[in-house]
Amino acid sequence: MSDPTFWRTEIWHPLSVHFPIALLLLATIAKLLALFLPNSRADFWHRGGAYLLYAGTLLAWLSIYTGDMADGIVSRKLCDPTVLKDHEIAAYNLAYAFSAATALELGLRLKLVRFKTGLLQVVVVLLMVVGSGFLAYAGHLGARVVYQQAGGVNVPAGDCAGF
Amino acid sequence: MKNAKLIAILFLLMAPFLYSCQESTDVVESGTYQGTVDEVEADKTEIYVKTAEGQVLELYFTDNTTLTRNGETVAFDQLQTGQQVEVQVEKVGQRLDPIAVRILE
Repeated sequence: MSDPTFWRTEIWHPLSVHFPIALLLLATIAKLLALFLPNSRADFWHRGGAYLLYAGTLLAWLSIYTGDMADGIVSRKLCDPTVLKDHEIAAYNLAYAFSAATALELGLRLKLVRFKTGLLQVVVVLLMVVGSGFLAYAGHLGARVVYQQAGGVNVPAGDCAGF
Repeated sequence: MKNAKLIAILFLLMAPFLYSCQESTDVVESGTYQGTVDEVEADKTEIYVKTAEGQVLELYFTDNTTLTRNGETVAFDQLQTGQQVEVQVEKVGQRLDPIAVRILE
């Protein structure tokens, strides 16, 4: 028997947040690989990484929106909401880093930027590596909120009433 | 390649500074504090109060929080950024529950 209150506002964040985690980490790996491959093979990984980056960045901002929706509900119940605050700060930092990478990557792909393109490709990857660092940290803090403080989690009654 | 290495080092050094772009919040002991309303988030009934000591308190109103001005109860929408307030908070774990918020002006 399922809990009738499953579709709570705070549920939208965990439903949406795992897509950008996967997409952005794969995008970073693809772009890193492309840097070390010969030109003939690098284009596929550059292009694939770029598409993953665009989708992941869009979904990262969507996840920040759903996280903001959850924040007002979850923070009131946590024993240490400062962890959630740090999670939020790390999330914004990763979104800024990947957004900057996306803007630069689009500029290069659409040939709006035509100088030092090789060097700027390295800058894109560096932004993505920095963003991935913040992504890992934000994920770690998000896990601490859920698994240490039961943030957003429905805790059943001791007698399992309702199940 | 020399430039790429330099840029790589600069980026890695820059990363921690992104943290300083966002303001973190502080946890204080239970008690009464005076400060300025730094931010109001009406949809979450949440305020940030910057105390005279420079600490930032993030306060989510609870069902028991009272909000008053000149001794009279007022609605949450009366709170505005920049107002002087006195807040009585209770520290529960590392969470600050506002017991009473008094608008001083």
